[in-house]
Amino acid sequence: MPTTYDPSTDYHALNAMLNLYDEHHRIQFGKDKEAERAYVATEIEPNTRHFATTAERLAYLIDNQYYEARVFEQYTPEFLDTFYARAAASGYEFETFLGAFKFFRSYALKSFDGKQYLEDFPQRCAAVALALAAGDETAAVSYLDEMIAGRFQPATPTFLNLGKAQRGEAVSCFLVRIEDNMESISRGINAALQLSKRGGGVALLLSNLRELGAPIKHIENQSSGVVPVMKLLEDSFSYANQLGARQGAGAVYLSAHHPDIMRFLDTKRENADEKIRIKSLALGVVVPDITFELAKQKAQMALFSPYDVERVYGKPFADISISEKYDEMVADDRIRKTYIDARKFFTTLAELQFESGYPYIVFEDTVNRANPIDGRVTMSNLCSEILQVQEPSAYNEDLTYAHVGRDISCNLGSLNIAKAMDGGLAGTVETAIRALTSVAEQTSINAVPSIRRANEEGHAIGLGQMNLHGFLAREGIQYGSDEALDFTDMYFMTVAYHAYRASHDLAVSRGRAFVGFERSAYAKPAGQGNYFDKYTDGRRSLDPRTARVRELFAKYGVAIPTVDDWAALRDAILTDGLYNQNLQAVPPTGSISYINHSTSSIHPIVSKIEIRKEGKIGRMYYPAPYMTNENLEYFKDAYEIGWKAIVDTYAEATQHVDQGLSLTLFFPDTATTRDVNKAQIYAWRKGIKTLYYIRIRQQALEGTEVQGCVSCML
Amino acid sequence: MAPISIPRKPLKLIDRVSAINWNKLEDDKDLEVWDRLTGNFWLPEKVPVSNDIPSWQAMSEEEHTLTMRVFTGLTLLDTIQGTVGAVSLIPDALTPHEEAVYTNIAFMESVHAKSYSSIFSTLCSSEQIDAAFAWSEENEYLQKKAQIVLDYYEGDSPLKRKVASTLLESFLFYSGFYLPMYFSSHAKLTNTADVIRLIIRDEAVHGYYIGYKYQKGLELVGGEKREELREYTYDLLNELYDNEVEYTESLYDGVGLTEDVEKFLRYNGNKALMNLGYPALFPAEICDVNPAIIASLSPNADENHDFFSGSGSSYVMGKAEETDDEDWDF
Repeated sequence: MPTTYDPSTDYHALNAMLNLYDEHHRIQFGKDKEAERAYVATEIEPNTRHFATTAERLAYLIDNQYYEARVFEQYTPEFLDTFYARAAASGYEFETFLGAFKFFRSYALKSFDGKQYLEDFPQRCAAVALALAAGDETAAVSYLDEMIAGRFQPATPTFLNLGKAQRGEAVSCFLVRIEDNMESISRGINAALQLSKRGGGVALLLSNLRELGAPIKHIENQSSGVVPVMKLLEDSFSYANQLGARQGAGAVYLSAHHPDIMRFLDTKRENADEKIRIKSLALGVVVPDITFELAKQKAQMALFSPYDVERVYGKPFADISISEKYDEMVADDRIRKTYIDARKFFTTLAELQFESGYPYIVFEDTVNRANPIDGRVTMSNLCSEILQVQEPSAYNEDLTYAHVGRDISCNLGSLNIAKAMDGGLAGTVETAIRALTSVAEQTSINAVPSIRRANEEGHAIGLGQMNLHGFLAREGIQYGSDEALDFTDMYFMTVAYHAYRASHDLAVSRGRAFVGFERSAYAKPAGQGNYFDKYTDGRRSLDPRTARVRELFAKYGVAIPTVDDWAALRDAILTDGLYNQNLQAVPPTGSISYINHSTSSIHPIVSKIEIRKEGKIGRMYYPAPYMTNENLEYFKDAYEIGWKAIVDTYAEATQHVDQGLSLTLFFPDTATTRDVNKAQIYAWRKGIKTLYYIRIRQQALEGTEVQGCVSCML
Repeated sequence: MAPISIPRKPLKLIDRVSAINWNKLEDDKDLEVWDRLTGNFWLPEKVPVSNDIPSWQAMSEEEHTLTMRVFTGLTLLDTIQGTVGAVSLIPDALTPHEEAVYTNIAFMESVHAKSYSSIFSTLCSSEQIDAAFAWSEENEYLQKKAQIVLDYYEGDSPLKRKVASTLLESFLFYSGFYLPMYFSSHAKLTNTADVIRLIIRDEAVHGYYIGYKYQKGLELVGGEKREELREYTYDLLNELYDNEVEYTESLYDGVGLTEDVEKFLRYNGNKALMNLGYPALFPAEICDVNPAIIASLSPNADENHDFFSGSGSSYVMGKAEETDDEDWDF
């Protein structure tokens, strides 16, 4: 414990001054940079182990089991020398204190006793690039350049782990189905434990489980329903953590028409009984169109017994389209039903979201209409941006697999929109797709064979985006304005074009497409339901609507794909296929956007000076990128901007993204559940696929606020 | 364990019993504060304090002892405020709605007192807990401050009781709040800090409201009485401040934070005076608290966190409102 505090080198104090105005009521941006310099000078430099040469450094790190020898043996010592010299020559400095602090606390390689730093940012990028490139020198250099320039940033599990000898998996995110039998539940819990140990979040589907009071072996009133399974999962997640790096985190999804839906939601009540209270597990609800229709009609909504449905239809509840079969199931006496008021259901949903931020929502029918892959999407993941098809597994009594189905892993990485535009975009997208594919190819999740199978067959990846608000503000465009929406549309279309182009190139060079390509919408003949028809059949213009956006693309030398470009790409794909079953997913980008100095995802900022709290780093303050005391007007926060502009922005992007986008809605505490419902209805109507957290901001009661605090001001 | 105090005479609420009518407000502030307090309702079980166990285990013996003592001190104050302080304000209330607000304050103070126990039981052994409670009974400064406040609560002046209560809510708690805020700004016990921030969020409103009611009460008394109360307030603050400095030294000298905590005391002393409608006592130059502490105090629910970390101190109870046909017009 420090004995005194010296304001000139206490970097925490300097960083905190960001959140306090100076005497002229100006934000003290300089203090944050001072904090970053003080931190590097007083904490990092003196505690960094230095080596005379790259060869000596690598030898030491490999011999002492810090680095994975296999990664570095793929390259010649001469190449490694010039490669590390290139990394060092970047002269990299973090732009914010939080970026530096977070990097050195959570990502940089440290000695086993935790006392010495063994890597800086360029060296971390170098190790990741070498691992990703798997011996390809040219690829390694392009990965390194993209990462150090900040154009492409792999997700935390990839960036944290690659190159290290003691590490977790490089994959971010897993999704596992559970079927209505004890073997499958056990396998689900096993997946929660095994996958948390390896890093990343795990989501499980509960919709298929029989409800409370359902029969077991035909004896009535035996089943305990989904809540006890949630408890088991929650405990599993808190038990497993990655070498203490972070606690496992999980999500569970349930159909809105499952009979346990209200009990499921009530686990998040502030005054829920300890036995059923769910604290750290995230909840998601899968809502079909019919639920909205029923609410519109002010009708009761039927909840169907999954046990009976599976017996009547011969397939799991989640694999039935409720919207399609609703009337049929209501009329079928073999299926037990209970009823709740549909509008009341939405009110309850919103109440819980106020209290806890949960549940997430998956608009099931929207998702499945937009899904290009053969099969059904029944759930999402911990951040609600992964939307892929699955196939159920079957188990023997000893828990071995009678049939290995398909479950989901997804490795993610995001582009910094501002820097990617600066760099011309096309090359960055291609490099990013190749890097993410490399992670898929190097990953084999043996602990969960259904995940291993789907990854081997599909090489699904999720290219994300961040810093939209930062870019728009830098260019003097208001978030949510017509120009901003136009830019979002054009940007995402251009990214999609290059992503598909890169995946097609991979299919050519690897000599194969993902398994099931021929049954996907990508393989349908042009004009007959082909996925790319929307770009080629003239239903929409592919040109910018506004002069400003046209100028922006011209200024950065980024070409917007034309109808002819798309048609040519479509035909090439019809011939050779795509290598990746899924390509894009826009995650919320927490940690990596701080290191990269971006605004998160394509959200607006939450505050000019954001207060960030995390287990490992405590409470810190983070300034929005490109913000100065002169351009504050472009940095309105999410609460000022309001939910409508956010939904509109996401709607523009959604049409070009094959999977989903994490969309958080922001409300002041004066909002009611009705406002939340209105936003949900609007989002559903705008074709949004999923909704992530609801966040409520409560301003201090007038007279109780901390004086001169930036984040307290509207 | 005996209760701290029982009312010596039966509480006499009002002369005639009339039902509280929230549709007829005499002071809009009552409803505003009531809404805020009920919206802020929380229970300690909400925060996953157990996530702090690794952090707690990495801390030194000295830090453990300090933390336990600080929290025991806070428990004692919250016990007083919950069972005696806020309750003693009820008979002085000017409106039935003000009474209702005090009952909420009293209840939440008991929630706060219980929160510390919940932190203790998660992090510490019974032996450590017993030692800390024994310490709280023997620390003369802690006992003295409890006694000073209790005396005024049992006195016969409604306005003096409000002064004592405001000083407790806005000033006396803060020597204790400093520590978890200091720890959390250095990435220690961050979930515990979330609990404390929820408490601070409540205390900020309590101090503000009681201070506001004091100022309302002042409007009803003559100039001479007003002057007497002003002097009384500054005297009491000075008395408590002197004791608080000694208390702070007894806690924080070992870790060298005393000077900074004292700045923080003066800062909050000024804040308490502001709540009571009086000018600051301490000049700003000697209240320059570590900015990391000031910034971390912000009671706003505006911090950002991820699901790997904890629930944060941000969610509130929602206001349910039914949708109508026009919302579903699609």
